[in-house]
Amino acid sequence: MKTLWSEWFRTKGWKPFPFQEEAWAASLAGESGLVHAPTGLGKTYAVWGGPVLEWLEENPERETWPKKPEPLRVLWLTPLRALANDTVESLRAPVVDLGLPWTVELRTGDTSAAARQKQRRRFPTALVTTPESLSLLLTHADTREKFASLRCVIVDEWHELVGSKRGVQTELCLARLRQWAPGLRVWGLSATLGNLDEALHVLLGGAIKTAKSRLISAQVRKKFELKTLIPRSMERFPWSGHVGLRLLPEVIKRIEKCRTTLLFVNTRSQVEIWFQALQRARPDWGGDVALHHGSVDRKQREAVEERLRAGTVKCVVCTGSLDLGVDFSPVEQVIQVGAPKGVARMLQRAGRSGHQPRAVSRIFCVPAHALELVEFAAVRDAITRGEMEAREPVERPLDLLVQHVVTLALGGGFHEEQARAEIRSTYAFRDLSDEEWRWVIDFVTRGGQSLKAYPQFRRVRQDGDFFSVDQPDIARFHRMSIGTITSDAMMSVRVVRGAYLGSIEESFIARLKAGDGFSFAGFQLEFVRVHEMTAMVRKSKKAARLIPQWMGGKMPLSTQLARSVRLKLAEAKRGVFDSPEMKAAEPVLKIQAAWSLIPEPDELLIEWTETREGVLYFIYPFAGRLAHEGLAVLTAHRIGKVSPRSFALTMNDYGFALATATPLELDEAAWREMLSPAMLVEDILECLNSTELARRKFREIARIAGLVFQGYPGSAKSTRQVQASSGLFYDMFAQYEPDNRLLDQARREVIERQLEVRRLQETLMQAQNMKLILRRTERLTPLSFPLWAMWVQGQVSTEKWADKVRRMSEQLEAEALKA
Amino acid sequence: MRADVTLEWGGETLTLLPERAVWWAAEKTLFIADPHFGKASVFRFAGIPVPETSHDEDLERLSHLLTMTGAQRLVILGDFLHGKTGRNEAMFATLAAWRQRHAETEMVLVEGNHDRHAGALPEDLRIPCVQGPWCLGPFHCRHEPQEDTDAHVLAGHIHPAFRLSDRMGASLRAPCFHFSARVGILPAFGSFTGTHGMRLEPNDRVFLVGPDSVIEVSPTLAKR
Repeated sequence: MKTLWSEWFRTKGWKPFPFQEEAWAASLAGESGLVHAPTGLGKTYAVWGGPVLEWLEENPERETWPKKPEPLRVLWLTPLRALANDTVESLRAPVVDLGLPWTVELRTGDTSAAARQKQRRRFPTALVTTPESLSLLLTHADTREKFASLRCVIVDEWHELVGSKRGVQTELCLARLRQWAPGLRVWGLSATLGNLDEALHVLLGGAIKTAKSRLISAQVRKKFELKTLIPRSMERFPWSGHVGLRLLPEVIKRIEKCRTTLLFVNTRSQVEIWFQALQRARPDWGGDVALHHGSVDRKQREAVEERLRAGTVKCVVCTGSLDLGVDFSPVEQVIQVGAPKGVARMLQRAGRSGHQPRAVSRIFCVPAHALELVEFAAVRDAITRGEMEAREPVERPLDLLVQHVVTLALGGGFHEEQARAEIRSTYAFRDLSDEEWRWVIDFVTRGGQSLKAYPQFRRVRQDGDFFSVDQPDIARFHRMSIGTITSDAMMSVRVVRGAYLGSIEESFIARLKAGDGFSFAGFQLEFVRVHEMTAMVRKSKKAARLIPQWMGGKMPLSTQLARSVRLKLAEAKRGVFDSPEMKAAEPVLKIQAAWSLIPEPDELLIEWTETREGVLYFIYPFAGRLAHEGLAVLTAHRIGKVSPRSFALTMNDYGFALATATPLELDEAAWREMLSPAMLVEDILECLNSTELARRKFREIARIAGLVFQGYPGSAKSTRQVQASSGLFYDMFAQYEPDNRLLDQARREVIERQLEVRRLQETLMQAQNMKLILRRTERLTPLSFPLWAMWVQGQVSTEKWADKVRRMSEQLEAEALKA
Repeated sequence: MRADVTLEWGGETLTLLPERAVWWAAEKTLFIADPHFGKASVFRFAGIPVPETSHDEDLERLSHLLTMTGAQRLVILGDFLHGKTGRNEAMFATLAAWRQRHAETEMVLVEGNHDRHAGALPEDLRIPCVQGPWCLGPFHCRHEPQEDTDAHVLAGHIHPAFRLSDRMGASLRAPCFHFSARVGILPAFGSFTGTHGMRLEPNDRVFLVGPDSVIEVSPTLAKR
């Protein structure tokens, strides 16, 4: 029967890759595993083949194939709803062609209630769903019985999930399914990662010890080509306000040449800016240019994706929202505007073109400023050397555990011992302590550790060692809160008496007055009012300069790429300019060398300069923006402890800056002390108490742990009485229950995730062995200028800022020309 | 350092207290708004754990205010209770004991939207519930702020707060008293209550409430 499947492959004109055949055999042998391969190599069929072949082996005679569709056998998890549609189509293709009595269906938050009901009566043979929807299914007591015939779970795009809380949610669900069916096979699909072994371990959890498993690698290197648009002249003094728009005419020329282009930029705001710019420059293109980012309404996004598949759109301006593995075969060209940030990300984006297995992935890079030229050259080197980022799995998020325990109680109830063992079988909770577990159980049954303080509390009911939920309204509330992991204080935007356009951060909406104009989702809009958690707007003809900002859209420069950048800089210092990018960056780097110096990989440069506004210190650890934020807060805190003073802080991917009124009396030894790794965590915890960081982080935690219920647009009034902001909860707990573990988690998440403490610590450890170079400069340097510009931005209004920064950059340009 | 603010308004002298109350010395009357008692229970009933202690501390603060000022009358500008599911014997027992401590004080509740939903207070609390506008001298007491002709309105409901930010980008948000020419809005008295950011019209006055002081925000700071 194997021939049927191979035959189908042949009719498609494909020849199986060895990694596909390996995966099929492994799956047939009952193994689990992780398949990794670049996009566009046929990962989907590598894991789909297993369950299909298995069924064919069990049903060798076509004549005896059942007429009715087979019951549920495969669960296919995908991180993005947008991917789910495509997946269903890919999975259906062989089913239809071979005439298998299988059904393949979709179940996501968008599936209609009627369709969901129908599915729960009888699941399809293969169900394509998201981690949130699976979690929701587990809240129904009869799911276990309905899942009895399940053989295999496939987790698509595992690299996207593994470093996030949604990954942990997936782990918890898988643990439940394994509990039900110990022989369950689990297969993950992943793009290349720096920590694939760990990713496999996270996927399989404790089962890795008992089940046979393997990592399957496509030993096929996809051909990759990176070219950079070299501008005729390059500004030496880059500032963050620039988004590369100066190169618009050349970019337009590139777009003209190709049928379909994906234009990647780094933030959602930049998508809006570039889209507007393209519209203004080429009004004749009109609807041939579209935009796509995570905050645009799903319908509009899906329409754009559809046009990409059909090849009926000339150019789509987008962010990482199109990074994932949808197959847009008609895409001929990928352009990246602005810093690449990471090696894996550039490979992934390049893979959007030439999606066919043996085609070349090409990416065309557009630098927004001179230092990005260096980054592009560095990315190419890193890819050639095969260096790739790792995704750190999330450890022990108690908010998710609180949510999941309620899910278990609701989905038929649980016995304590057995549930604890099940949860400890996940990678994330393998080290869950008895105290933490006790705390979670107390939290859901009594509301906290102090029994007497919570007389009316009811959520999970305890009878002996059995836990369940018996209140219908608790059940409803819980189901509504599952799956809101990703939303973050967002407000829907809707045209008055018209369509939803997407969502914007509440803080941005809060600043608008009626009549204020802004652009979003590609439209010029006028703000009308807020109505039931929705910002009502009108379309407008007036060009608006205001563009929403979204938090958290900025990825930091990865460690791998940072190292590669430092190597490029070291080459430049020795006079080696070996690529077009480096040749173009040469004048800027020479200015840096002349006015200050280019740091070697073993040198930590500190520049300082006096200006009318105060004294500015620039420190360059090249550790990425997040770690620099932590370092800036930490250094300011430590200096302030010795002699109290106030600082303004800025940071970017290369370094951070401290601005203060008078010079710091710090020599090299004193700086070393300020940058010492000793007492790091203690000092950071001290900083956290004096900043809003932990309080802000608590938002997400409060939502996941089911403290905050964010009403949906038009949600029932009954929920309004139990709405309170996460900030209020944070304050209440901090005051009355300071040992609440969710507070602790907020601090831990800030430290580990937001400030990347591990990277920060490594940076400080390395700094101990580095040569520390303190350089006073007469003026700002190419490295310090962008940090200075950000600082000015915090002080004055936007227009004045732009003027001031432009004036300053012209002045420095003039100085540079003289030199 | 404790700092109250004295305000001439509606031809009378009012003192804005950092305990989130308004003191009208001439009539020995204390105004508060939006204590939302029983809110923690409402949450717990819905399966959301909230420490109870905040209500106890709120009652303590109120007792302290009544004693400190020697008030003969307490006017509650609505939302004394938070919701129906927050009604329980323990809370009413605490409230009754507290009421006993201030048996001599006249107390009036101007009905708020939450009170309507939560239901009537037990008789023995001796806090009669009245409908706004409830007139007291030159003042109209209401729950929801609304302009009345020929009167100065004192109200709650909004839970006003205001955000200040400095040049460096640091910012601070605090509950506030918000006074326009004819309407004065009190901050929510309850500590387990959210706040609503206020936008200022010309001639509005805003008084930020800190831990132990009330500070008027100068118009230049308030300008954004």
